[in-house]
Amino acid sequence: MGDLNVIAIVLVIILVAMTIALSIFSRRFTRTTADFYLAGRKVGSFANASAISGDYLSAASFLGVAAAVYASGLDGVWYAAGFAGGFMVVVFFIASPLRRFGEYTVPDFAFGRFGTNRMRLFAVVGVLATSLFYMAPQMYGAGTTWKVLVGTGIGGVDNAYNTGVVVVGVIIMIYVAVGGMKGTTMNQIVQFWWLAFAMMLTLIAVTFMGFNNTATGDLMRFNYSDYLAQESSSYMMGPAKLTVEELGDPEVYANVEVAMLEASSKMADPDTFYEAEMDKIDEAIAAGAAEDKVNVVVFQKNKLHELKNEILGTNDAMFFNQPGHRYNSFDQFSMVLALVLGTAGLPHILNRYYTNPSGSAARRSTFWVLVFIGVFYVVSPMVGLAGRLMVRGAIDSGVAPATADYVGGLLVSSDALMPTIARIAGGELLMGIVSAGAFAAMFSTLAGLLIASASAVGHDVYEKYINPDASEKQKVFVGKSAVVFFAFLAMLIGYLIPATGLNTAYPALIAMMVTWAFAVGAGAFVPMLLTGIWWKGTTERGAIAGMIVGGGGTVIFIFVNMFEALKLFDVATANPVIEWIASMTFPTLYTFPAALIAIFIVSKLDGQLPKNVDEIWMRIHGNAHERWEKEHGLDKAAGIFTGEQKQ
Amino acid sequence: MTTPPSSEATITSTYIKHGDHVDTIESVDMVFKAQRKLSFTYGAIFFAVTLALPLLGVTSEWWWKTEIMGGFTWDYLIVSLLYYIFLWTMAWTYSKRADKLDDTLADLADKVTHDVAATAHDEG
Repeated sequence: MGDLNVIAIVLVIILVAMTIALSIFSRRFTRTTADFYLAGRKVGSFANASAISGDYLSAASFLGVAAAVYASGLDGVWYAAGFAGGFMVVVFFIASPLRRFGEYTVPDFAFGRFGTNRMRLFAVVGVLATSLFYMAPQMYGAGTTWKVLVGTGIGGVDNAYNTGVVVVGVIIMIYVAVGGMKGTTMNQIVQFWWLAFAMMLTLIAVTFMGFNNTATGDLMRFNYSDYLAQESSSYMMGPAKLTVEELGDPEVYANVEVAMLEASSKMADPDTFYEAEMDKIDEAIAAGAAEDKVNVVVFQKNKLHELKNEILGTNDAMFFNQPGHRYNSFDQFSMVLALVLGTAGLPHILNRYYTNPSGSAARRSTFWVLVFIGVFYVVSPMVGLAGRLMVRGAIDSGVAPATADYVGGLLVSSDALMPTIARIAGGELLMGIVSAGAFAAMFSTLAGLLIASASAVGHDVYEKYINPDASEKQKVFVGKSAVVFFAFLAMLIGYLIPATGLNTAYPALIAMMVTWAFAVGAGAFVPMLLTGIWWKGTTERGAIAGMIVGGGGTVIFIFVNMFEALKLFDVATANPVIEWIASMTFPTLYTFPAALIAIFIVSKLDGQLPKNVDEIWMRIHGNAHERWEKEHGLDKAAGIFTGEQKQ
Repeated sequence: MTTPPSSEATITSTYIKHGDHVDTIESVDMVFKAQRKLSFTYGAIFFAVTLALPLLGVTSEWWWKTEIMGGFTWDYLIVSLLYYIFLWTMAWTYSKRADKLDDTLADLADKVTHDVAATAHDEG
């Protein structure tokens, strides 16, 4: 079991036991589909805000944001700002009208607003596409964290990564199927506060306890502006994988040597470190076949501004506190748009707005969400920056956790940063708390995604088309079966990520993949929701055109980019259109306006408004129901565990 | 435990009635226009500020390159810290204004309902 961390595993087991206990407890209160999918629609603002935050803060936020900052500097910080900013679109344009309309799910809204089964089915496809894109990074996070935490497989699965995927998949399947939305809500509240506590504790550990660098004799304590100045004072370096064949080129090998020399200059004993690292590279070259990959360190290049590298005499230069490591000028805007628009297109988040007791409560919930996640997103980039210096210090001191791989003083996989820095700054106990926090982040988000996917199939397809006369018992059974099916699908996706080599194609893969899910949601749903709510002239055909252009277009862009990164085709010889598509990391800057334009043009040409459009309009924007609820005191939260219990 | 009253809505093509509370297409249009003005004003400010940040990062060297405090550039300082204060302020003020607008519009809608009922009674 190597570097097995007993405390960490015990804490994760406690979290899992608590999760299942809450699910079993809440089962007593889940007897109708409204309970199973919407927690009875009476969740208070603070509780709902905690649950939304738990739902929202996924592996991407807990592991991915700090990792992205560690790998990409300022471009990584944008993930945090964009994830937070997304809720503004929800609160300004979506939350209250969606609650007023009073349906169960986004496909219900699509059906209610546009009046056709075809529209509902398009929305179901959109929900499933977005959810599956979002499940992928959660499962990758599960495998990665398990690998760092346990480092070995169990129960007949010999691969540590795959074990993590299976364990998380099975646990989440059980607790969502048993607890439904009430159990999931309660769990998400607990999980949110655990992961927020873990992130704050990590910051406290790196700031006040610090790390004793025995190589230099310094007590390293995180200071934001000083650390940022230190890390930005020299060229930014990053890990890369080159084949043995590539390293056989003397020019490439010489560049690797120069880069390693620069990376070594930041260590306590540069000469010794340089010799040891180059020896490792030479050994790997001598032992490897031509196509085997070797970890090296390289100078990073700014994709936004041309910066001169005085050592190489080229423009391969980048500094930590400047933009441009990941994104060129197009992607700078496109990524921001994908993040701020995508939140409003995430079905598992929108589902949560139906659980509010009133429109006003929906807005209050969103404000609290912004406070909770805002604090979290201010802290995550600090931890990412602290990691740049402290991981290096730990390598210098010879105490860096053996469960992670390093090259040139850097983590090979930045997604392993959170558990690694927790171990460095806070020992086994903090690593345990952080690892449990990582699992909490995955559980809470996966649970929301499973509920959203299950409701798309169980509620929107089975109840409406397959068996409209189904009893409550049958409906809940189908919902639970759908949860089991999608949990297995999530496990399969988790397995496929390293099997296809996607994990080595992108740095900070978790945050990247989540942003893809945001881009799909931003393309598929947000134009339809915005125009459906705010433009009476939107027709069913217009909305479908928007979903095809926005959602379908985004999926095509992402897959072409992914295939290019996996080198499945040669961009240089490909069709210029494919080359152009492949160059875009996030297509939202094109797909979102294109979807809006498609909705506008097709709606104008079509002109077939639903016959009851005035009635629909009154349901979305009218307030008679809310006035009536207020008169009878029904605009107040009733607590999650109220209502009829099972006998 | 008492069972809460259920809203037996009466829905027609010209009005929706919940108990004594009525939405007509005219009253809803009034609510819609007021809400649209508020939402789109806040939305415009939000997007203007949010998209201005990468724009400055692309175009203005003083923004992305000049260090103003330790290692902080304006770009890093705003994106990593101050942007959240902007978000909280926007969300809080919007929430308060939207609540106030809801109350105002609810009173107006009730008044419209009352006036219509009174007129019908007088005519009867």
